[in-house]
Amino acid sequence: MRNLFLFFREHYFYFLFLLLETISLVLLFNYNEFQKSSLYSVSNAVSGSVNSMFNGISEYFSLGKTNRVLIEEMAKLHSRIPEAFYVTDVNIFYKKDSIVHLEYKYISAKVISNSTNKRNNFLMINKGSMHGIENHMGVIIGNKIVGQVVSVSPHFSWIMSMLNKDSRISGKFKKNNQLVNVEWNGGNYRKGQVREIPKHIVMVKGDTIITSGNSDIFPEGLMIGTISGFKNAQDENFNNGEILFSTDFNSLGYIEVVVDMMRKEKEELKASFKTQ
Amino acid sequence: MTSRTVFFNIIRFFFLIFFQVLILNHINLSGYINPYFYIYFILLLPFDTPKWMLLVAALVLGWSVDIFTNTIGLNAAACVMMAFARPFVISAISSGPESLLGETPSLRNQGLKWFLYYSIILILIHHFAFFYLEIFRLNEFVETFVRALLSSAFTLLLVLISEYLLYPRGK
Repeated sequence: MRNLFLFFREHYFYFLFLLLETISLVLLFNYNEFQKSSLYSVSNAVSGSVNSMFNGISEYFSLGKTNRVLIEEMAKLHSRIPEAFYVTDVNIFYKKDSIVHLEYKYISAKVISNSTNKRNNFLMINKGSMHGIENHMGVIIGNKIVGQVVSVSPHFSWIMSMLNKDSRISGKFKKNNQLVNVEWNGGNYRKGQVREIPKHIVMVKGDTIITSGNSDIFPEGLMIGTISGFKNAQDENFNNGEILFSTDFNSLGYIEVVVDMMRKEKEELKASFKTQ
Repeated sequence: MTSRTVFFNIIRFFFLIFFQVLILNHINLSGYINPYFYIYFILLLPFDTPKWMLLVAALVLGWSVDIFTNTIGLNAAACVMMAFARPFVISAISSGPESLLGETPSLRNQGLKWFLYYSIILILIHHFAFFYLEIFRLNEFVETFVRALLSSAFTLLLVLISEYLLYPRGK
């Protein structure tokens, strides 16, 4: 027994190393599953306040650009209100019926931290569970995709960007509705990979890929990007392509979080099928 | 270790963490270079730091950076590995007692050759551990390798610049 103690005292450095390294690795592998976000929420509150302070300063440098974006957005919205249309139809229909429900609503928020230079990139925004944001909601800018909410605290949310090894978005070709998967393999932040394109699809450069609406995260029809190159694989069942993202992930200012009002119903439906 | 040294190390600890999370983490150089300069803290710990303290300090340092990047355990694991290697690297590259002159490792006391060996080996250990743990797959082996090498070179550059700026030779 005494020898055992001596042995431990002699080599405590190795044991301490093993202990600390194991703790780190256990944390790494447990908490990087985004669902287990309890620790994130605590650290979000700390790092969020530091980040928003820093962002409050750097915000001043981009005021001009932000104004321009807002004016453009306003012009776009003005052109959509009913007064902007020349009505030729005599009948006007009001959807006052209880059959019609709002399916998606949008919460706008400001990006307070963002990166594009890591293998796994995340964004933090200045709204959280207090404003109705929940895990797994999609995040968009204009009609372009950004990512998915993976953790929320009362005032902030942590978003897994499309530029992440765990991001995988279900998309489709706009021209023929063929389903594909879009991923990012690191490196250039403007370009992603399109996987599982069936062999018989004829691709040309510039083909538009939009969201498929299959994943319950994004509504259908949002821009993902355009095909910028592809390779016809000889010995596999699918072709792979390269996609130029429509979103400029390096200049995200204000984004919108997509709230799917019918998600609960969709999930219940799926769950009820499983339990049968 | 005097209380003055302890004080300076604590200041350096906070300074490097904030420098890392507020400035370096926002630098985007072609998607392949992410310097992790905050490990300069571990390089500069005094020679007579107790070994257990090395490991614990590295854990706390890595964890603090992790909190800001939401990668719990990633920086911590890489830092602990680097701190573990530090005593072995020092004894491997030091030939005589004169190479342990002064309180902390520095370019001025140990000379360029010693300091280069010391920092290159430790930075490489940290960066390779970091980037391979971050990706945790082997099918991007080459990209990760290039990324770790380039980032290490950039971190080393920052370390050397601060050595020359903060501890000039003729002081």
